[in-house]
Amino acid sequence: MERRKHKTAYVQTIILVVFACISLYPLLYLIGYSLKTNDEIFYSNPFGLPLSPQWINYVKAITTFDVLTYFKNSVLTTVVSLAGIFTLILPFSYAVARMQWKLKGLATMFISIGLFIPLQVSLIPLSVLIKNMGMANTYGALILPYIAFNIAFPFMILSVAFRALPRELEEAAFIDGASVYRTFFSIMLPLVKPAIASAMLFAALGIWNEYILPTVMISSDSLKTLPAGLATFVGQHSTNWGAMGATMMMASIPTIILYLCFSEKIENSLTVGGAVKG
Amino acid sequence: MNKMLADKKAIFIFTMPCLVFFGVIAFYPVLQTMVKSFYDWDGLTTGTFTGLDNYVRLFQDRVFWRSFRNGMIVAAVLVVLEVIVGLFLTLVLMNPKIKCRKFIRSSLFIPVVLSVTVVCQLWSSILNPEIGLINRVFEMLGSSYRQDWLSNKNIAIYIIAFVNAWQYMGYQFVIIYSSANSIPTDYLEAASIDGASRWQSNFHILIPMLKDTMRTSLIFAITGGFNIYAQMQLLTQGGPGTATYSLTYMTFRSAFKLRKYGYGCTSAVLLILQCLLAIGVINIVLGERKERDAYGKKKA
Repeated sequence: MERRKHKTAYVQTIILVVFACISLYPLLYLIGYSLKTNDEIFYSNPFGLPLSPQWINYVKAITTFDVLTYFKNSVLTTVVSLAGIFTLILPFSYAVARMQWKLKGLATMFISIGLFIPLQVSLIPLSVLIKNMGMANTYGALILPYIAFNIAFPFMILSVAFRALPRELEEAAFIDGASVYRTFFSIMLPLVKPAIASAMLFAALGIWNEYILPTVMISSDSLKTLPAGLATFVGQHSTNWGAMGATMMMASIPTIILYLCFSEKIENSLTVGGAVKG
Repeated sequence: MNKMLADKKAIFIFTMPCLVFFGVIAFYPVLQTMVKSFYDWDGLTTGTFTGLDNYVRLFQDRVFWRSFRNGMIVAAVLVVLEVIVGLFLTLVLMNPKIKCRKFIRSSLFIPVVLSVTVVCQLWSSILNPEIGLINRVFEMLGSSYRQDWLSNKNIAIYIIAFVNAWQYMGYQFVIIYSSANSIPTDYLEAASIDGASRWQSNFHILIPMLKDTMRTSLIFAITGGFNIYAQMQLLTQGGPGTATYSLTYMTFRSAFKLRKYGYGCTSAVLLILQCLLAIGVINIVLGERKERDAYGKKKA
């Protein structure tokens, strides 16, 4: 019996390792070819490790391609969007979760629409609206929609977090003479920090990877974010595989490192996501 | 105390910016999509009202039916590869005897954090007919089963679905795994004291308790499948012919390539209906639930 159990665990481990390989091998292949010559990639050594690592690919990638610009644009739009999302949603979630007013059910429903409606659906009128606001081809064309379409989920996470705080905190604050604003900023906000971090990571992942808006709203290369910028680059440099691989690697390393540092937090945020009950 | 929390002015200050912003940037354009689907509209003028013309044309448009069907195919592939495989891996990984769980979890999740362009570029090199990894493997095995994977109109849509599933499998897996682990262990312990095997308790206790999470995951997978766009653009550009069009791709093309904004809105409305219908069906099949709990949110 014991032995059989060990055997099952063994088989199960193998299954898991196979899936881990399916996830990781393509990435290893990319690292490999970012360090190879075209000849090595195509003919002499498609599968093996690079024989003499071509670091020059990375030099070429940096000199011929603006990976840094795209990277900067991605960081900037993501950070500003997150700031916007939380500036709007923190007070809103607090008001919905803790304060007393008649229309809060309606307001909740209204914001929750954002959960169902994908950005794609509003793309056409949105692009016209952005153009009319004079914001086509600016960071604003990305940031405003990213904020609007990413407030619903943080709202759910935050309103649950606010609701879980004990009443006595506010009572004590009010008795001590704090205003509702002061109570919100100095007492309630610090207590939902973990929920803010989770919600932030969740939103950041989505914004970082968003591909449609920068392709529709941004025509100037210098303002494109990574997903759209890289796509242009791929079209132009399809013959130099090594340099292209190097570019892809440079675009990916920072997020992989970030993930490895914050993996616990990201996974927590997904638990919150999965566990949220209306 | 109650007076403080019912302070009208404070409530107004706390909620108005959010409501107004969301209303203008998210809600208003969605309404516009619906309204303009009844117009012949070029995106510049106000357009002319044409009633159901766009809809009639859409239903006669082969590309629409192709896109609609492709959405279903992708959704089905995502349900299998993300939700069912994700659930299976969760059940396997919950075996306490298994080592290096953290490593496995992280490796499954890493594709999620890659840029979608990187993923598509990576896979288009792996699938390359001349020098791609997959055909090289067939060659090495001495098999002549070499394919031009992305130019084959019967296979291409499945490949696209696979690439999307490859990237986001880890995402769904972590959602399912985390909620399985947040279930109190008492139930499972009680079952094992009563002599239930691990797989018996998985099927009779764990899976039923994961119902809420499964609903979320299914909605993610299905609406994600319907909304797929980036992979079309990056891997096949809708081709060969129109074999890999999706509704989003069609919307995008009508508006920004063909300048038929009104017609583009019509296919977008069908996309909303398709998503709402799917969410409705999932909610009916998987039990009670107010619509508020279902997340239609998706990655492109």
